[in-house]
Amino acid sequence: MGLIASYNLRSMIVRKGTAAMTAMGIAMVVAVFVMTMAIAQGFNGALVASGSNENAILLRKGATSETVSAVLRPQLPLIQALPQVARGSDGHPMASPELVVIIALPRVSDDQPANVPARGVGPLAFEIRNTLTFVEGRRFTPGTREINVGKQATIRFKGLTMGSDVKFGGSTWKVTGVFTDEDASFESEVWGDVDLMMPAFQRDGYQSTTVKLTDPSAFESFAAAIAADPRLDLKAYPERDYYQGQSEMTGTLIRVFATFVTAILSIGAVFGAMNTMYAAVAYRTREIGTLRALGFSRLRIVSAFLAESMALAVIGGVIGCVLALPVHGLSTGAMNMTSFSELAFKFRITPGLLLNGLIFSAIMGAVGGLLPAIRAARIPVARALREI
Amino acid sequence: MKFVSLVLKSARRSKRRTALTMISVGLAVFLFSALRAVLDGFDAVSAASSSTRLVTIRSTSLIFSMPSSHTELIKSTPDVQDITWANWFGGIYKDPKNFFGQFAVDPEGYLRMYPEIVLSDEDRKAFLADRTGCIVGDGLAKKYGFKVGDRIALQVGIPVYGSRDFDFTIRGVYKANGAAVDNQSMMFHWKYADERSIQKGQIGWFVTKISNPDRATQVASEIDAKFANSPNETKTQTEQAFSASFASMLGNLNLLLGSVALAVVITTLFVAGNTMAMSVRERTTEIAVMRTLGFPAATIFVLVVGEGLVVSIAGGVAGAALSRLIVNGEALGLTGGFIPAFGVNNGNVAVGLGLSALIGLLASVIPATMASRLKIVDALRRVA
Repeated sequence: MGLIASYNLRSMIVRKGTAAMTAMGIAMVVAVFVMTMAIAQGFNGALVASGSNENAILLRKGATSETVSAVLRPQLPLIQALPQVARGSDGHPMASPELVVIIALPRVSDDQPANVPARGVGPLAFEIRNTLTFVEGRRFTPGTREINVGKQATIRFKGLTMGSDVKFGGSTWKVTGVFTDEDASFESEVWGDVDLMMPAFQRDGYQSTTVKLTDPSAFESFAAAIAADPRLDLKAYPERDYYQGQSEMTGTLIRVFATFVTAILSIGAVFGAMNTMYAAVAYRTREIGTLRALGFSRLRIVSAFLAESMALAVIGGVIGCVLALPVHGLSTGAMNMTSFSELAFKFRITPGLLLNGLIFSAIMGAVGGLLPAIRAARIPVARALREI
Repeated sequence: MKFVSLVLKSARRSKRRTALTMISVGLAVFLFSALRAVLDGFDAVSAASSSTRLVTIRSTSLIFSMPSSHTELIKSTPDVQDITWANWFGGIYKDPKNFFGQFAVDPEGYLRMYPEIVLSDEDRKAFLADRTGCIVGDGLAKKYGFKVGDRIALQVGIPVYGSRDFDFTIRGVYKANGAAVDNQSMMFHWKYADERSIQKGQIGWFVTKISNPDRATQVASEIDAKFANSPNETKTQTEQAFSASFASMLGNLNLLLGSVALAVVITTLFVAGNTMAMSVRERTTEIAVMRTLGFPAATIFVLVVGEGLVVSIAGGVAGAALSRLIVNGEALGLTGGFIPAFGVNNGNVAVGLGLSALIGLLASVIPATMASRLKIVDALRRVA
């Protein structure tokens, strides 16, 4: 194998112009693949990061998202009393009744109004979501018109910077803190005291309640206890599953689009590789004949040319990944179709995605190289040697 | 012109290679036309939106409603000729996946406001007469097999409408004349939804018709001024601005689709350019012979570029034709909801063809330059 491998490698260097063009064609496809998938992953990741498996979220039975759910005020104490709900250091049950409404704020980029989720939370919300950390300022004081804003929201929407006054729901709210939460969707939100947000938006009930469980394994019994109480027409979901489900609609849309585009593009790139490999085989007919005459089997010839094509494609794949890398961490926004609001997220390129890109390029190389390789192996030795 | 047959001959020299290149260019043009069509679909919606119609929503956000008492106040604004209203119902037809727009409307006023909703006279009468009647777009009717007279039930999606299912009788199937109206929606009587609503007399948005489009901004601010500092402040904008802000919520589509299209073109350029370079390299001796016979360098250049153009445009024609045939939203079942109906039109096809010509030209310029600058002596001496 050693001789044949170095032979094919060196042939590739001889045809460096053609080889480079083919590799670049594949590089573009891989770059598009990685970038579009990075959008889907970023979107997905932002919502998945919002869920913790220690938490459970309660929604009205049949509600598909918080926006269409309702939890009545008298139901809250019933939930808090359940033994599966963890207690805080001061003995308070770790449950946060919440309300999400959408407010319109102009975007920084184009001044167009965008739908920003404003979440009213209970006083223990920050203990329940313990991954949330403040980069600026402090928590809002319950009972005052103070709000905290996610990092992404301050970047993306106008007038949400630390210390500014924001008008919505008929009153003015002061930003007293900016928080981050591992790129979770909460970073696109505005948080305030639920008991003040409710009257501001003329609501008289909560929409959901998030609780911290004593233990992740307590979820089953917690869900059963909720289902068993006829006063609660609610259903419990593991928080992570809930947010995963929220990302499905938009995430799938992006993924379908990415697959469609890259599939069509890859056909073009495969044909490019095929052209190159056919030409490579044609130029080297005599050399192939010589190799065969020396006793290299057909299988060896096929695998050698296949390997050459795949190596070429993987080089392209590496270039493509490198081309795509700069978008990692760029933040962008897309509408979350289930909550009807804008979710800011970052392009997320993971090692797994890069690996997929490389595998994808290798497959393109293999598909493009197979027919030319078979052709190379089937050239009759006598005729091949006679070729000029 | 006399070189046409020569160009065609050289394109046929390696049939497989030419075919592969043609298909690559064809696919690129296909993809490009399809992407353009999607963008055009969004543009069409805002372009077709009338500038004599204003949309008034709650200033906080679209999801909040206003009391119906706003109607008279808005109507009394100078220049306002007509007013109607609608609510987003957000019901579920069998499964949450079956998403389509459902609007509770003031039936007479709405049909008057939107002449784009084309309904036969009998259907219109039947719809107006039946409190639980509804009309559906022809696209939606096709998707779910709805016929006039069918009874459908929608589960309640927004808690304010209670928990009992709503039953409707389909009284008409409308056609959408113009992109301002979606043919994948359902409309029914606002009163029917309102009487079962927990909060009575709530309206999602008002649509007003104004007599003079030039005064649109003024009228809009006059309307908003009436509700300033009330608990139900409003925000009024032209229908055009309203639909544009909707499209922008989907994210920066122009940038995303634009960069994908650019990647498509670049990939194809690499493939086609590579082929042309190979084709020229193969014919080095031949070209040298032609030069010896007295063909000027310029002719060689034109021949190579011509070959590139022929192969690329042939592929482009196939790709554009294919996209014209199969890419239309209805056939793919992609319309409804937030994505407007779209289809590849002649304009997209023309752009696609222009693109294929551009690819052919760019891909062959370098090989053509190489070919025309060949040193005859070197080339003749070379054994290919």
